[in-house]
Amino acid sequence: MKANSRLVVVSFAISMLASLGWIVVYIIDAGLLWEGITLGLALGGLGFGIVLWADRLLDAPEESEERHSLASTPEQNEAFEETLGEGVGAVSRRKILGGTLAGAAGLFGAALVAPLFSLGPGPNGQLRTTKWYKGARLVNYDGKPVKPTDLPTESIITVFPEGNVESGDSQAVLIRVDPQDLALPTDRMSWTQQGCIVYSKVCTHAGCPVSLYRSDSAQLVCPCHQSTFDVLTGANVVFGPAGRPLPQLPLALDNEGYLIAQGDFPGTVGPSYWDIHHSEGSSS
Amino acid sequence: MTRLLGTRALGPRVAMALALTLVLVLSIVLWLGSPGARGQSSPQSKSSGYDPALVSRGEQLFIANCASCHGASGGGTSAGPPLIDVGAAAADFMLRTGRMPAANSKDQALRRDPAYSEGKIRALTAFVASLDDGPGIPTVDLAGSDLGRGEELFLQNCAPCHGSTGVGGTVGNVLAPGLKASEPVDVAEAVIIGPGQMPAFAFDQSQRDDLAAFVKHLQGSTGPGGADIGAVGPVPEGFVAWGIGLGVVIFVLFLIGRSHVKPEGEVEAGHEG
Amino acid sequence: MIRWADERLGSSKWSRSAMRKIFPDHWSFLLGEIALFTFVILLLTGIFLTFFFRPDQSDVVYLGPYAPLHGHTVSAAFASVLKLSFEVKLGLLMRQMHHWAALVFVAAIVVHMSRVFFTGAFRRPREVNWLVGINLIILALLMGFTGYSLPDDLLSGIGLRIANAIVLSIPFIGPRAAFLVFGGEFPTHDIISRLFVLHVMLIPWILMGLIGLHLAILYAQKHTQFRGPGKTENNVVGKAFFPYQVLKSTGLMILTGAVIALLGGLVQINPVWSYGPYDPSLATVPSQPDWYMGWLEGTIRMFPAFEPTIFGVTIPTSLLVPAVILPGIVFTVLAMWPWIERRITGDTAEHNLLDTPRDAPLRTAFGVAGLTFMTIYMLAGGNDVFASMFNINVEAMTWAFRVSFFVLPPLAGYVAYRMANELNDTGKHPFRPSKGIVLKRNPEGGFE
Repeated sequence: MKANSRLVVVSFAISMLASLGWIVVYIIDAGLLWEGITLGLALGGLGFGIVLWADRLLDAPEESEERHSLASTPEQNEAFEETLGEGVGAVSRRKILGGTLAGAAGLFGAALVAPLFSLGPGPNGQLRTTKWYKGARLVNYDGKPVKPTDLPTESIITVFPEGNVESGDSQAVLIRVDPQDLALPTDRMSWTQQGCIVYSKVCTHAGCPVSLYRSDSAQLVCPCHQSTFDVLTGANVVFGPAGRPLPQLPLALDNEGYLIAQGDFPGTVGPSYWDIHHSEGSSS
Repeated sequence: MTRLLGTRALGPRVAMALALTLVLVLSIVLWLGSPGARGQSSPQSKSSGYDPALVSRGEQLFIANCASCHGASGGGTSAGPPLIDVGAAAADFMLRTGRMPAANSKDQALRRDPAYSEGKIRALTAFVASLDDGPGIPTVDLAGSDLGRGEELFLQNCAPCHGSTGVGGTVGNVLAPGLKASEPVDVAEAVIIGPGQMPAFAFDQSQRDDLAAFVKHLQGSTGPGGADIGAVGPVPEGFVAWGIGLGVVIFVLFLIGRSHVKPEGEVEAGHEG
Repeated sequence: MIRWADERLGSSKWSRSAMRKIFPDHWSFLLGEIALFTFVILLLTGIFLTFFFRPDQSDVVYLGPYAPLHGHTVSAAFASVLKLSFEVKLGLLMRQMHHWAALVFVAAIVVHMSRVFFTGAFRRPREVNWLVGINLIILALLMGFTGYSLPDDLLSGIGLRIANAIVLSIPFIGPRAAFLVFGGEFPTHDIISRLFVLHVMLIPWILMGLIGLHLAILYAQKHTQFRGPGKTENNVVGKAFFPYQVLKSTGLMILTGAVIALLGGLVQINPVWSYGPYDPSLATVPSQPDWYMGWLEGTIRMFPAFEPTIFGVTIPTSLLVPAVILPGIVFTVLAMWPWIERRITGDTAEHNLLDTPRDAPLRTAFGVAGLTFMTIYMLAGGNDVFASMFNINVEAMTWAFRVSFFVLPPLAGYVAYRMANELNDTGKHPFRPSKGIVLKRNPEGGFE
């Protein structure tokens, strides 16, 4: 008993010192480590002392208490049903009044859904387009346009349409490979320039940026769920849960030799949704 | 001048010639050493920049140690790629970080202790550089580098594979190693050559310096929030929350759950269930 | 003083009956309290944070002391979190305590829920309280998700992008719903302030109300108890509320606070400065959500690529199934469990005495299978972390997890079933050495 109460006193004493310590630490700005230690000891000493007291020093005998069923007696239940019936009947007896009340309340309740639609606009085709347009120059994060010769082979950078570096769906990856390694469908070979090939950076699975690149295998990997896309054959999915290949951006060169887009992505960028195939041109 | 060099031992003309040579050599060395010398893009090494004796020693070492995979004159075999135009940067990087010689041609080459001494590495590098023009060993100047720009470049180009904290990660079935042991020149060389599955990047000198400075910053002490438990994000945080957070509290519960009040006649009741 | 209150509120009567109320004294009955205590810590630290956080996504230039981001354009929300972490005294401590408390909060709920499940405490008359509890865990998960997304950093922003894609994947209403929730096409400048409203006002109010209901029902119905000498279905044996339980619980709450404080000061959590501000074109690895979302992350990662188009309607199954349908099934089964069990066992009686896991082998088997499923998927959500830690091929690991999804939960359930039956038959615990039997001396001096 004596040992226990001494332990409790020591516990509280540590807590008191630590509380004072916390104030000092705050004033002299001793830093996170000391803030945590002093606060932890202050709380710990206090809590430990109290728990010890309750557990070892308090005379709390085990007692028993009767349980009473929460249920009401049959008489009480009957009385309730009667009162309820009377009240409800007062309304439901008047058929026309009750009916129109129900109609008014119901319709108003349904109308209350309306403010929900103020939260946001309808999609209105926004999911199908990006900021890429015909003749848009490819620019890097600094807004500088890019020539194919700026990139060594086996390199990757992120590009945007000129003037739209902030855009949330237009980000794309520009990869330079050895042109001889490309194995795209024939109609898409003209979408590349001197080994430069551009794919949407928005993963077709859940929209994460597909930023990881294995240069020897020429494969793009998405960090979120590990979807893997094969660059040389048109960003087809070779592993992971993505359901569509990454859309490819058709490239051209302007008269100064900078890379430009021939138009927006032919497929829809980003994650799939129920009517994604409805206004698509060639491939999905 | 002639008085300085001793007019008895060397004639005035010889002395003059020696002095001029000294000045010439000094200025060449200074010019080669200065950061601006190699221009904005990746440094080109000229094979004539290396001492021929070093190159030939390098060739001997190459034939003995590297040719079995990379071919007698670096032309490549089925076991190793050609090294014709990889340049001094690639050779220096691979040898100094111990990636080469590789254990086998299938597994990913990872950082180890270098297999060769510095002298041998220099010789081998000289030989590889002599094969054809390729990127030379870059210089890195951390003084005056912009940490903010480095952070930006790192997040844009490196973090997806190496992690925003530089602890490394996986790119599918390939490892992007952690950067804790990377020297500034390693960083510069790696972005130029794009070793293994890592892509190459077209950074200029100042961008490489900024990146190297930021990588160095990442190698500093653990974060301002305390122990960084691996700096890989919520996974270890979850383990700590369960193990320490909940674990300690439940342990306390367990301890105090025993009833210390003994009803008459009964053995001390342990916890039930 | 006492009379003053009593004259106005009639407090003496019910105060005394409350103080005399009996609560059984078992360590596992305090697990729910740990959840309650961490909730209190969340409230207190959260209020502090609310004074400093700005739910505003407009651009500002960060000019604070964190050098790598100095001069960068970030959102005001992100900048306010940096300020809180580096310039407000006790700010980083409060932030880290808040986040650690959140992780422990959900963990405590899971452990408490497991205790309730495995002891059959959800049976009549406590089904309503079980339903309240299921709602509580769902709200806790939502609090966690909205909370860690508030700083508008790269890691949580990636999570918001995935959440957006999950909403998009819902057939027919997906795109409309996603635009409603986010206020337009992702990314929008509205989402953080909306999450703020949810996190600071709407959900906490509902949570506090439901916690109150949870405790009120418990109070009225009285707590359950394990079988033992002197304990029946019609009594409750334990210790009085005041002073023993009050002191013990208060002490435990303070101790929980101590653990959270130590964690908050010593172990770094969610270093948003390292991740940087959210940018939809940037990524960091490894990218996982907080642990309690890990099972969803795992199911999404493991799901194979499969996206059929039926009658012109594309079904993005690789998101819809693991992230919408599966959790729907999980929570529905959990919620309906008291009635499912009633169907299977035919037991409709009222129960105030608890089972031990071995008393209900089938229930235990299901519970173990469910927990195994959750654990596998939580680990699968971190597959790239474990792959780089142990140098295992990520793709091989994925296949291993896919197979174990079908194999391990039923296997674990079966093993648990057999163990429970064995314990029932022989009374011997497989892991503990035999304790012998309890001898009781009766007043006459003999033994029984």
